[in-house]
Amino acid sequence: MASNDAAAQVKNGTGFRAWLNQRLPVDKFVSEQLLEYYAPKNFNIWYFFGSLALLVLVMQLVSGIFLTMFYKVGDTTAFDSVEFIMREVHFGWLIRYLHAIGASAFFVVVYLHMYRAMMYGSYKAPRELLWLFGMFIYLALMAEAFMGYVLPWGNMSYWAATVIINLFSTIPVIGPGLVEWIRGDYGVADATLNRFFSLHVVAIPLVLLLLVALHLVALRQVGSNNPDGIEIKENKGSDGKPVDGIPFHPYYTVKDIVGVGFFLTLFAVVVFFVPTFGNLFLEEANFEPANPLSTPDPIAPSWYFTPYYAILRAVPNQRVGALLLLIAVLAFFFLPWLDRSPVKSIRYRGWWFKLFLAEFTVSFLALMYLGLKPATGGYVIAARVFSIGYFAFFGGMYWYSKWDRVKPVPQRVRFHD
Amino acid sequence: MADQDAVDLDRRKFLTVATGATAAVGAAFAATPFVASWSLSERAHAFGAPITVDLSKLELGMMLTYVWRKQPIYIFRRTPETVAKLAAHDSQLKDPKSTESDQPTYAVNEMRARRADVAVLIATCTHLGCLPKQRFESGDVELGADWPGGFRCPCHGSRFDLAGRVFNGSPASVNLRVPPYSFQNDNTLIIGLDDATTQGAA
Amino acid sequence: MTKSILLALSLVSAPLLLVAAEPAAPSAAEAVSWQDLHAGNEVANLSSLQRGARDFTNYCLGCHSMKYLRWSRMCTDLSIPSAECAANLIPADAKPADYMLTNLRGEDAVAWFGKEPPDLSLIARSRSVDYLYRLFKTFYVDPSRPTRTNNLALDGLAMPAVLSALEGVKVAVYRNVDDVVDGKPTVRKVFDHFTSVAPGQLNAEQYDAFVRDTVNFLDYAGEPAQVDRRNMGVWVVLFLLVFTAIAWLMKKEYWKEVH
Repeated sequence: MASNDAAAQVKNGTGFRAWLNQRLPVDKFVSEQLLEYYAPKNFNIWYFFGSLALLVLVMQLVSGIFLTMFYKVGDTTAFDSVEFIMREVHFGWLIRYLHAIGASAFFVVVYLHMYRAMMYGSYKAPRELLWLFGMFIYLALMAEAFMGYVLPWGNMSYWAATVIINLFSTIPVIGPGLVEWIRGDYGVADATLNRFFSLHVVAIPLVLLLLVALHLVALRQVGSNNPDGIEIKENKGSDGKPVDGIPFHPYYTVKDIVGVGFFLTLFAVVVFFVPTFGNLFLEEANFEPANPLSTPDPIAPSWYFTPYYAILRAVPNQRVGALLLLIAVLAFFFLPWLDRSPVKSIRYRGWWFKLFLAEFTVSFLALMYLGLKPATGGYVIAARVFSIGYFAFFGGMYWYSKWDRVKPVPQRVRFHD
Repeated sequence: MADQDAVDLDRRKFLTVATGATAAVGAAFAATPFVASWSLSERAHAFGAPITVDLSKLELGMMLTYVWRKQPIYIFRRTPETVAKLAAHDSQLKDPKSTESDQPTYAVNEMRARRADVAVLIATCTHLGCLPKQRFESGDVELGADWPGGFRCPCHGSRFDLAGRVFNGSPASVNLRVPPYSFQNDNTLIIGLDDATTQGAA
Repeated sequence: MTKSILLALSLVSAPLLLVAAEPAAPSAAEAVSWQDLHAGNEVANLSSLQRGARDFTNYCLGCHSMKYLRWSRMCTDLSIPSAECAANLIPADAKPADYMLTNLRGEDAVAWFGKEPPDLSLIARSRSVDYLYRLFKTFYVDPSRPTRTNNLALDGLAMPAVLSALEGVKVAVYRNVDDVVDGKPTVRKVFDHFTSVAPGQLNAEQYDAFVRDTVNFLDYAGEPAQVDRRNMGVWVVLFLLVFTAIAWLMKKEYWKEVH
C-alpha cells in the first residue's frame, strides 16, 4: 500500500502538482514534447523561422485584440477610428505599428521558413502532410493579410479590395455573380468591410490556430528534417535515442530565445524608426480615406503579394493572367510529388537543382520588385522573362530532379562544435 | 571532469536566471503600452472638459439637468428661507455635517454649495446609482407632512434634502456628491472648474 | 467675423515673422532643380513647430481643417501655455478641446474654388514633406488659370497662391530643348528658372524658413507621437540588444556539451 502511494507520488509529484497531473497530463506533455523530443543537432540559421513565425502569430493576436477594442468598423467610421488610435489612445500608435509591421514581418519569416524547406527537401516523404498544412497556413495568411489591409479603409485599402475581388470575375460562368456575392454590394462597400472584419478578427485566426496546431502535431509525428537531409531516427544509439539528435529542451528552447532576441531587435528598429519602411509597410496612399472616384497612381498590392501580381500582369489576357496567378500559388502544393530526387538536401544534390533553385530565387525576388512597378515597357518584358523562370522551377522539376547526379549522403550529420 | 561540470552548472544557472530576469523585465515593459491603452483617451478627457451653464433663465422651482463626465448634474435655485430651514432637520440626517460625503472644500458648509441660492449636485443616488426624482414641495402625501423638500430615489427609496444630504432610514448611507464648479459671473456657472476667474473660459 | 479676426492676426503677425524668422542655410535653391528640393525640417524643433502652428492658423485654417488634431493637444505637445494658446491661436468660437476645423463651408468652397480644400491632418504622410515644401516654393503667374497662378509641383491645382504676399510674385521662364517626337525633330519648352516680378514681405531666406516651419508643423500634425516614438525606440533597441547578448551567452553555455 505504502509503496504504491510512494510510487504514485514519485510519478505525479506532490501537492498541487500531483492534483493537477491527475487531472491534466501537464508533466507528461512537457516531458514528451520537450524533453523526450529529439531534434537534429545540426540546425542552422534557417531553422529559427518556425519558432519566429509562432512568435509573430502571438504578437499579431495580442496587438490585434487590442486594436479591436478601439477600432470602429464601418465605411464612415473606420478611417477616423484608426486615427483615433494613432493620436488619442495612449500608446495606440505603438499597438497599430506593431500590428501593421507585424504583418509584413510575418511574411518575411514565413517566406524564409518555406525557403528552408525547399533547400533541404523538408517537404519530401514522410513530411508531405506537414508541408501541405504549411501551405494551407500560407493561404490562410494571405487571406488574413488581404482582409486586414482593407480594414483601415484608406484609399489603397479600397482599391486593393476592388482589384483583387475583381479577379474572381474571371472564373467562367459564376465569376460575376460570385464577385457581387463576395462584396455584398454593387461595389466594394460597407457590407464588404464589415464581413472582412469578422473574417479577419474571428474566423481566419481560428482557422490559423487550428492549422498551426495540426502543423506542429504533424511535425512531432515525423520529427524535424535537417540541413543534411538525414533521417536521424534511422540511426539510434544504445539508449534508443537518435545519435544525431538532442532533446528539444533545453537546447533548442535556449537557442530559439536567442533567435527571438535578434528578431525583436530588428523588428523594434523598424517599428520605432522606420515604420513605413520606404512606403512598403504602410503606403502613402492609405493615409487618404477611401475614394471610389480616385484610384491611387501608382497602384500595387503589399510587397508580399507583388510576385504573384507581377505574374498576373505579365499576360495581356485577364483570364489567363488570373489562372497563372492561381497556378503560381498552387504549384508549391505539388513539390513533394514533383521532386523525385533520392536525396533531400541541396548539399547532396547535383547542378540541375542548384541551378533551378537559384534561378527561382532570382525570379521570385525580381517579380516581387516588378510587381511594385507600373506595368509598362521594359518592366512587362522583364516580368514575362521572370515568370517563365518562376514556372520553370516547378514545371521542370519532375525531370531534372531525376537527372541530377547526386552525391552520397553521409551517415552522420555535419556538425561543428 | 566533475569540477568542470560543477563550474558549468553554476554559470549555467546564473545565465539562465539573468536571461529570465531580463525577459521578465522586458515582458513588464512590453505589457505597459497595452495596459495603458485602457486608460482614458484624449477624446474622453476632451469630453470631460468643463461645461458652461447659463443661469439667467433658471427660476425658483425649476431644475436643470446637465451631463458632465458622463454624470447627471442637478442645478436649481433655493430661497434664503429654504436654506435657513436646512438646519432644522439635522437630527433626521445620517451625515448633517457632510463629514463622510464627497464634495469640494467650498461645499463643506450648511448649504453644501458656494452660494446659498444655487444648488449643484451630482444626481446619482449614493446607494446603487439611480437618478433621484425631485420632490421640492414640502409636506407630501407620500413622504409625510414634515417633508422639507428634496429628492426621493425611485429605485430603493433613499431620500435626500435640498442640500443633497441623506435622511435616516434610507438605503443610501452618504450624502449626494457635489462636483467641482465655480462662477464665472453672477449668471454663469462652470461645472468642472474650481476657479473660473483666473483660467480662460471653457 | 472670424475672417476679420484672421486678417487682423495675420497683419499683426506678419511683421513679427520678419523679426522671428530664422536665417536659413545658404540657399543654393537657384542652382538646385526644384524637383530635388528637400524640406530639411526637424520635428523635434519646438520653436519651429510653434511658428508653424501660428503660420497654419493664420494662413491655412481659413480654408483647411485639421480634423484629427485638437487645439489643446497641439498646444500641449508644442509647449504653448493654454492661456496663450487660447488668446492667440484658438478661434473665438472654438473650445480648447475642439478639433482644428475651418469655418469655410464645403459648398462655398466648391462654388468658389471648384473643389473642397482637403483636410491637412495627414497630408504630410500621404504626400511627403518634400512634396509640400516644393508646393509652397513653386507657385508662378499663369494668366490662363482662374486663380491666375499655377504650380510646378501640382500642375493645375485649385488652390490660389495664398502666400504671395509673403513670398512675392514670380513668373516661370522656359527654355527651348531639342527633342524627337515620332521620328520628327521638334522643340519643347522646359522650365528653366523663376523670375521675381514683385517682392513680398519676406526675403528669400525668410520665406524659405517660413515654408520650412509650416511644413514642419504639417509633419508633426501627421503623426504627433513621432518624436516620442524615436526616443522610446532608442531604449527599446538597447534593451533588446542587452537581452540578446545575455541570451546568447546562455545558449553558448548550454551548447558546450553538444558534440
